[in-house]
Amino acid sequence: MGQTFSEKILGKRAGQKVKAGDIVVVSPDRILSHDNTAAIINEFRKLGISQVRDPEKLVIVLDHVVPASSEKYAQNHKIIREFVREQRVRNFFDINHGICHQVLSEHGLAAPGTIVIGADSHTTTYGAFGAFSVGVGRSEVASVWATDELWLRVPETIKINLEGQLPPWVYAKDIILKIIGDQGADKANYQAVEFSGPGAKALSLASRMVLCNMAAEMGAKNAYFHPDKKVFDFFQELGISDYEVVTSDEDAQYSEVINLNLDKLEPQVACPHTVDNVRPVSEVEGLPFHQALIGTCTNGRLEDLEVAAQILRGKKVHPQVRVLIIPASQKELLKALEKGLIKIFNESGCVVINPGCGPCLGAHQGVLAPGEVALSTANRNFRGRMGSRDSFIYLASPATVAASAIEGRIKDPRKCLL
Amino acid sequence: MKEGLIQGRLWVLTNDQGRLIEDIDTDQIYHNAYLHITDRRLMGQYALGNLAGWEDFARRAKPGDIIIAGRNFGAGSSRQQAVDCFLALGIAAIVAPSFGAIYFRNAVNSALPVIRCPAVENLVANGQLATGDEVRLSLLSGEGENLTQGIKFNFPPFSGVQLAIIQAGGLFAYAHQLEKR
Repeated sequence: MGQTFSEKILGKRAGQKVKAGDIVVVSPDRILSHDNTAAIINEFRKLGISQVRDPEKLVIVLDHVVPASSEKYAQNHKIIREFVREQRVRNFFDINHGICHQVLSEHGLAAPGTIVIGADSHTTTYGAFGAFSVGVGRSEVASVWATDELWLRVPETIKINLEGQLPPWVYAKDIILKIIGDQGADKANYQAVEFSGPGAKALSLASRMVLCNMAAEMGAKNAYFHPDKKVFDFFQELGISDYEVVTSDEDAQYSEVINLNLDKLEPQVACPHTVDNVRPVSEVEGLPFHQALIGTCTNGRLEDLEVAAQILRGKKVHPQVRVLIIPASQKELLKALEKGLIKIFNESGCVVINPGCGPCLGAHQGVLAPGEVALSTANRNFRGRMGSRDSFIYLASPATVAASAIEGRIKDPRKCLL
Repeated sequence: MKEGLIQGRLWVLTNDQGRLIEDIDTDQIYHNAYLHITDRRLMGQYALGNLAGWEDFARRAKPGDIIIAGRNFGAGSSRQQAVDCFLALGIAAIVAPSFGAIYFRNAVNSALPVIRCPAVENLVANGQLATGDEVRLSLLSGEGENLTQGIKFNFPPFSGVQLAIIQAGGLFAYAHQLEKR
């Protein structure tokens, strides 16, 4: 009987043949943490160990509240910088880089067939490159810093077949919102999700990252795309070739196979306060809102900014809407700058903010007041996520957010006459 | 926790219609406004502070209390404060039909017993588990009993390694035990 990607990679790394449900002990290739590294250091010190076992594996990115917005955050950042020097952590990315999932990706630190653990729930993102990547908590990361290993339960796998082709103005974000809306926020709890089929193959790497990133919102432990030429070319450009691709067998056993035809997919919107409260844009059109956000680890890459700029070019955003643009990283910002996108955003009345998590998790740079409504390209719309617990968050694609920003109300991007 | 037995007073997290609240995410458990806090003792006061109708939970809860919640408890962020805030209050266990995967793992690693028990949905709907009831849970056998109402129920017991971590007092203590062997 064949094996899924997750069974195969965990078996390979544990040195034994495994099947879903088995518990294995593995040593990860990368251990990611962000601003929460301060709390992890706290835990690590309690262990009474002075040295991180393998500092080469650590990837630390300051992204959640950058630059620091308060003395407490500044203090946490300072503790992290001191620790990085003390432990000689080479892969440290200070506030001038971007969001951890984008930064780790663009430095090629999540190659096919590698295992990445991260103290962040959206660590699932690296499945886009064929890596096995899971989110864990900070005790776990402190423990792995010390021991260089952790136990993992080999997950069952749900296979999601994407058939057909995306219509114009419909994007990866709409695919994953549709799936989460249909299947529910706990559908893939404790399980892996594999995206396959012609619809998956056609997606760019940036779009695959959107699906893997948001697989976390259906509870998935990890996500996966079969690595192809797009992935190999990406790593070749970075000069990285020392990886071994791991793929699912043709006759692998899946706990469930879900088919989705993309041909007639509409733009989708997740309504407050759960990500699975999804409706086609036609059902929420006309809803007024106060703040738009285009960015985050879900949708802050060049292809997202390009779509938004295409819609906003020569237009003005609605006077009653504040539009925030936050590129996912400095590299993505530079590309957008060189393509003239930042000028378009500026002229249309958007506020361009430095790369980072921004207001996605409600800490700074555009938190919501009571009664306010946001339309965002982020991955979560939990109650109070972006500030006041009496505010409301709708999630959509960059195209839907940009089209709506002009209108001041939620709008179907397919109605943009270009 | 003697022989995996937990006994305590129940808090059933229901909404204003008396239904078990589902999908209580990490932002409702522990709001992101307090993520900069790194000292566990300071986290208890914010537990469930963003869950409608339960904002004053931290003031009402007592050490040893047990929580029952709806499915997918702890969905969302990997923030461990969402587990630590309950430990700070001395909560003895959380029972729900299912948990967010990272939340479940964080809780086990921190020795907070998180008990997957699909049966609680019906028991709560029928009034057979209610806030204030005294409940006993056996982690070894997977048996639960509502002592106030005289009702018994079952849940799948923990796997070996999970129970060992919880009984050791968490992942770190467990690792130290292994080292000493």
